Amino acid sequence: MSVLKSNIDQSVRRQSRLRGDDFLRYLPIIVFVVVLGLLAIFVPNFFTPRNIVNILMQASALGLMAIGLTAVLIGGGIDLSIPSVMAMSAVFGAMIMRDGAHPLVGVLVMLGTAMVAGCINGYAVAYLKMIPFVVTLAMMTIATGTSIWVTNSISVAGIPEAFTNTILTRLWIVPVPVFFVAAVTLVVAFWLKRSVFGRWLYAVGTNERTARVSGIPTARVLFGTYVFSSFFAGMAAILLTARLNSAAATMGNDGVVLDVVSSAVVGGVSIYGGVGSPLGAVLGAIIITMISNSMNMMQVSFFTSLIVKGVVIIAFVALDSLRRR
Amino acid sequence: MAEPFLRMVQISKRYPGVQALDNVNLDAYPGEALALLGANGAGKSTLMNVLGGVVRPDTGQILIGGAPQEIHSPLAAAQHGIAFVHQEMLMLPTLTVAENLFITSFPTRHGFIDRADMLRRSSQVLARLGCHFTPDTRVQQLSTGDRQMIEIGRALLSDPSIIIFDEPTSSLTSRERDRLFGVIRNLKQDGVTIIYISHFLDEPFTICERVTVLRGGTTVGDGAIGELNHDDIVRMMIGSAEVSELAERRETVTGEPVLQVEGLRRTGVLQDITFTLHRGEILGLWGLLGSGRSEVARSLVGLDPIDGGQIQLAVDGVMRPVIPREAQQWIGMITEDRRNEGLLLPMSVRENMSLANLLQLRNRWRLVDGHRETALAQQFVERLHIKVSSILQPVRTLSGGNQQKVVVGRWLERNPPIYIMDEPTRGLDVGAKAEIRDIVYELAANGAAILVIASEIEEMMAFADRFLVMNRGAIVREFGKDVSKDALMAAAAGATGAAMGKAVSA
Repeated sequence: MSVLKSNIDQSVRRQSRLRGDDFLRYLPIIVFVVVLGLLAIFVPNFFTPRNIVNILMQASALGLMAIGLTAVLIGGGIDLSIPSVMAMSAVFGAMIMRDGAHPLVGVLVMLGTAMVAGCINGYAVAYLKMIPFVVTLAMMTIATGTSIWVTNSISVAGIPEAFTNTILTRLWIVPVPVFFVAAVTLVVAFWLKRSVFGRWLYAVGTNERTARVSGIPTARVLFGTYVFSSFFAGMAAILLTARLNSAAATMGNDGVVLDVVSSAVVGGVSIYGGVGSPLGAVLGAIIITMISNSMNMMQVSFFTSLIVKGVVIIAFVALDSLRRR
Repeated sequence: MAEPFLRMVQISKRYPGVQALDNVNLDAYPGEALALLGANGAGKSTLMNVLGGVVRPDTGQILIGGAPQEIHSPLAAAQHGIAFVHQEMLMLPTLTVAENLFITSFPTRHGFIDRADMLRRSSQVLARLGCHFTPDTRVQQLSTGDRQMIEIGRALLSDPSIIIFDEPTSSLTSRERDRLFGVIRNLKQDGVTIIYISHFLDEPFTICERVTVLRGGTTVGDGAIGELNHDDIVRMMIGSAEVSELAERRETVTGEPVLQVEGLRRTGVLQDITFTLHRGEILGLWGLLGSGRSEVARSLVGLDPIDGGQIQLAVDGVMRPVIPREAQQWIGMITEDRRNEGLLLPMSVRENMSLANLLQLRNRWRLVDGHRETALAQQFVERLHIKVSSILQPVRTLSGGNQQKVVVGRWLERNPPIYIMDEPTRGLDVGAKAEIRDIVYELAANGAAILVIASEIEEMMAFADRFLVMNRGAIVREFGKDVSKDALMAAAAGATGAAMGKAVSA
């Protein structure tokens, strides 16, 4: 009898756990709908085509960085340097274009600068076994310091029109980057689920020791995640530089770090590793952008919005750790 | 003869499915050391947990100084003067000796730590142990033997009348061991009652007056140690069950060498490990806990570092040297820690089984071929009789036996020429054990070379064709298939008694 009972207990528990998992998996979508509903009620003029396009455009750069962070988080690490590396890359690319380089060179400089930073992060974390939080925090201050130093805190203007116009081309009223980010999100989501690297990454993030015993080159995988996140920081740099028609150290300020991390956690990416998808992270980026945008429209101060976002992060991390029980 | 100071009478404890203790009796006398002996799983730990107030017995009585006592908690045990010296040393290396001694009970004065009192009492304890370092030395600067002394010092602080030593010598050098024995002799002179647990069978003869032997949760022998010899104790520990009934196996066909290890070493852990593993062979690496058997296994695939030595592997029929990380390509590794090193618990059976094989499962777009992945998982789930509702079921929800089969199945999918299996049947029930054994036999019959480690001697003897015996980080003996249990036990315990003479050397 007691055996039977414990079996039933177990299966019930299993079911309820599954239900909890499902709930958490769809949570980003639920939050998305709720936020949309609230905005429809409380923020007039929110649902104008102009504002929607504006939000999607803002969310694009954020979404790219959130995808980058997602890969690192799945592997069980963290990369706080993404926004500052993005800003540094943007500054370098913008300066070289201002000084007459071809826009394509500018693009390559941005991607290259970012990936150098990513290689340093990755090497320190994966091979020197340093703590990701410390390494990327240091990289954040280095990148920010460098940007401020080379620009004297003045934003870099004089970006060639060929660069901005190409990138900001519109299809109907929607700028190309929005489609681009949507496509990249789908491709990366598929790639993480189906490529060997992606499968290794989820394994390493779930249990690094099991991965190692199973013959997975864990250090190479972890190194890869930081290069990946920086590559996405580089792409975000291209997009933002075009949108702002300038580049500055402040592009990657603390507020942006907060936004990137919130996007990922609101999108259901676990900060404990092994769980998450770029689809969720990009949805998270859209939610965070909507929150910022609407608070902006309601003329809530920037600082108040920081408080709101901080609370959102804590709430979602709390949910994340509940799921792990 | 004095009265026993400590009596444990008719102690029984049942866990679901196991009678851990069955009317066990234990008498210990003041000023004497009692050796508590038994193989793994004999019930020594459970019995000591009962004494320590960690485990509540179902029935039975404990008498201390002739008076029955209830020991409901570790705190109660301490109040009755019972102290433990543990095998693994729980130290905070960056703190001082005095701080480590008093970590749970800092003496205070006006709410602050009374350093003067702490240092004074630490010095007293250290003097009693014959230690020459000062109480403000940092623990990280001390040797293993000195740390062991601090562990004992911690026990002495409460001025206990009963001290339990749980395998205190497993990581000590022989000089440190002699020093420890000196301390135990002094404690005996002070009238302390000692219970001494060890896997090294020569030690009780040196330091103990009496012995109690457990097997399968019952007391199978006790008495004055002078009336017993080494063989008697080994016989009591392993019982009379014939090994032959356990080992039923096909004729072994041992082929050419596939793995040659030469002079593998790591300071303080492994010394000069040299052996050869052949095609179709199941080689048993036998030794007690802490003998270095798992460390050998882990070093071969780069999970533990090594300081020197060479590993050669047969690659396409030619022996060539490899570094351990590379060796992993040809070796299927099953570690003893299934939950933390074997499985991705939240993931599905399918994902766990394909884990080592993803590169081989790539299709022409270099993506993981989902159909083949599913088909292979399905195939091995059936072949290994893994009980699952679906291959998408998370492995967390499987029983231990089925989880272990998933780990085995992972490597069967990969099909490496060499397997290393550390405790492949640990924690499994009899049926699951037999199934895993059959799989291993079949692998060997199909030409795989297998290095296996098991801590239960019957299990080991059922598995292996040949045995390497390890003791304190070195391979000390090699035996063939027809070795006796006694000889294996004796060699692992590092004894040089009569049992060794009877051993059949290969």
